[in-house]
Amino acid sequence: MRTTHRRWIRPLAVAAIAATAAAVGGCAQQPADGVTTLNFFQFKGEALEDFNEIIADFEAENPDIRVVQNQVADADTAIRTLLVKDRVPDVITLNANGNFGRLAQAGVFYDFSEEPVLDTINPAVQEILADLGTYGDEVNGLGYVNNANGIIYNQDIFDQQGLEVPETWDELIAVCDALMDAGIQPFYGTLADSWTGIPSWNALGAYPAQDGFFDKMREQGADVGPESEVSFEKDFTEAMDRQYQLYSYMQEGYRGKTYDDGNAAFARGESAMLLQGIWATNPIKQVNSDIRMGIFPYPTDEPGESLLVSGVDVVFTLGKDNPKHDAAMRFIDYVFQPEVIERFAQSQNMVPSVEDAELSDDPALQSVRPFFEDQRITGFIDHQIPPAVPLIPTDQQFLFDGDTEKALQTLDSEWAKVAARTIPVTGE
Amino acid sequence: MATLTEAVRSTPAGSARKRATRTRTDSSRASATYYWMVWPAVIAFAAFHTLPVVVGIFFSFTNYAGYGAWNFVGLSNYLNLFRDDRVLQAYGFSFLFAIVATILTNAYSLAIALGLNAKIKARNFWRGVYFVPYILAILVIGYVFQFFFSNSLPKILSGIPLFRDNILTNETWAWTAIVALAVWQACAFAIIIYLSGLQTIPAELYEASSLDGASPWRQFRSITFPLIGAFFTINVVLSLKGFLQVFDPIVALTNGGPGTSTESVTLLIFRGGFSGGEFAYQTANAVVFFIVITIVSLFQFRVLQRREADF
Repeated sequence: MRTTHRRWIRPLAVAAIAATAAAVGGCAQQPADGVTTLNFFQFKGEALEDFNEIIADFEAENPDIRVVQNQVADADTAIRTLLVKDRVPDVITLNANGNFGRLAQAGVFYDFSEEPVLDTINPAVQEILADLGTYGDEVNGLGYVNNANGIIYNQDIFDQQGLEVPETWDELIAVCDALMDAGIQPFYGTLADSWTGIPSWNALGAYPAQDGFFDKMREQGADVGPESEVSFEKDFTEAMDRQYQLYSYMQEGYRGKTYDDGNAAFARGESAMLLQGIWATNPIKQVNSDIRMGIFPYPTDEPGESLLVSGVDVVFTLGKDNPKHDAAMRFIDYVFQPEVIERFAQSQNMVPSVEDAELSDDPALQSVRPFFEDQRITGFIDHQIPPAVPLIPTDQQFLFDGDTEKALQTLDSEWAKVAARTIPVTGE
Repeated sequence: MATLTEAVRSTPAGSARKRATRTRTDSSRASATYYWMVWPAVIAFAAFHTLPVVVGIFFSFTNYAGYGAWNFVGLSNYLNLFRDDRVLQAYGFSFLFAIVATILTNAYSLAIALGLNAKIKARNFWRGVYFVPYILAILVIGYVFQFFFSNSLPKILSGIPLFRDNILTNETWAWTAIVALAVWQACAFAIIIYLSGLQTIPAELYEASSLDGASPWRQFRSITFPLIGAFFTINVVLSLKGFLQVFDPIVALTNGGPGTSTESVTLLIFRGGFSGGEFAYQTANAVVFFIVITIVSLFQFRVLQRREADF
């Protein structure tokens, strides 16, 4: 009995090792049958099924290419480890946050500036990506779908009260006051989740952050303070005051409510507006699928000058020197076709970046359409702030105590401290 | 009358002496078997404990971000630590929290242990009940407590503004909620240690003292407390060390908020090092924290052991 057992184990172990070796080494070799296998690094869990469909269609059209989707949790960490080990995936999707910008600056991604697909993409979207950081003058990523960060409003309540979407800051305050007079809660605050303060901070802070504010901040580095050319203390007072003003229209007990509470309450019509982005519309619809809602950007003083804050939710990129570059580029060209991107954007409730692609007829998305068409969009400014600066807690604290000066001082001093202790890596 | 310790010491000492002479005549060293038992443990300990610590100390002298290239930067990380008021605030919070939680844990545990050691009905059942918090995962319990603080308490105590507005979002008092959770959980283990200590006290001492007319309070002060001194020391040292490194209860309840008012040193190291991209800087912080905890623990041992009853 025992000997037969042993006889089995050895070939099994050999087979297991061989299989592992084939699996590990397989992606690096060109198989004999002429089929190129692309390793597709995909970060977005919700999009797993959508990409499976896209890949199936693509493989049907391109029998000589096989695409293997690797959906990873915690993609930011995973891609960093892969890059360090020089095992760059063939096609990469990432969320275009500050981390993406830092990787692009390190020069690990391909330069798309000569690729024809670039001309089909909304230039404002590419501008958001460029602001995050690039290697020299290169174009290191292609924006795929965008989100929108604005004020979500209940269209039924606005219609009943005869209210128009506000175009200027004063009109927004007037809308809030009118709602208060009618006994309707203007906003639903959810500060128990500290991050829910940030969408409105990003949107209001986008105005003072225009014209290279963060470039100048980075130049100043450790010298940022009340005396420097630009600083939070100098330029952000109005934005912060306005954010605090909006929070004076919150329901009672807003400090103890969570993001989920807020979505549910808005879905039930307990407030007329919500300071959240397009990502909140799906959870709201799960509570009340009949709700009619739109979204508008945080207005500024002049009508027609408001900017919609939008982030690139999915960015496509490639490794710098990839032996399978042609196959990877064919996959990207396929994915960026208007029909493909339309279907994906509709399913993900996002705005497609390709100019010919149609938006889904969801009213919330339709309401932000003009801003994309006129390219009146701008990026999330928190992506420009080093993650070691405790922005979220500082803003949450500020919304509790309303001490603008203290909050701005904290941001400036944290920025300066991080700049002072960040010692750049020198050549060799 | 020979004390318990003397009795315990005398027997093995006598027989061991005999055995020792015999082994020494056979061979001057222990047999190879013992080395085979020790080596795997030494290697595993070095590989999984000592080596990572050394690597961590090494990286604290660099500007490593957790990935990519790096250089040596000498002591800059350490110098910057002392200039960072956020770090100093985190140390302040950790010490305040640890001292308060240690005092409360030991006071409650000692009281409960005394009760559980007395002749009460269903004694084993009660001992089991008080041990339950230790078995439950703190993160799970943390979310139960979070629901309790943010949803139940505001309704139950709606008359008190502090609780009505969710104490977890109160900058000044949020830390007390974390203390409540941490003490609730830590008591279970401290009670077990105190119970085992109380059981080492011979009942004759209480009989003798009650014949002399000593009150229960006097008995506690003059017999119980001095005799469980060693257990008190170990409990206080372990609690303070554990509470200084507080992490899970904060993550579950406030995540360092509101603002940064409940940010402990460990939470700061975790946040700054992993999501903040300041791996080397926070590693330096961890090294400093390690030294601080070692010093505090050694200091406590010296002070507390001096006043332990020795018999």
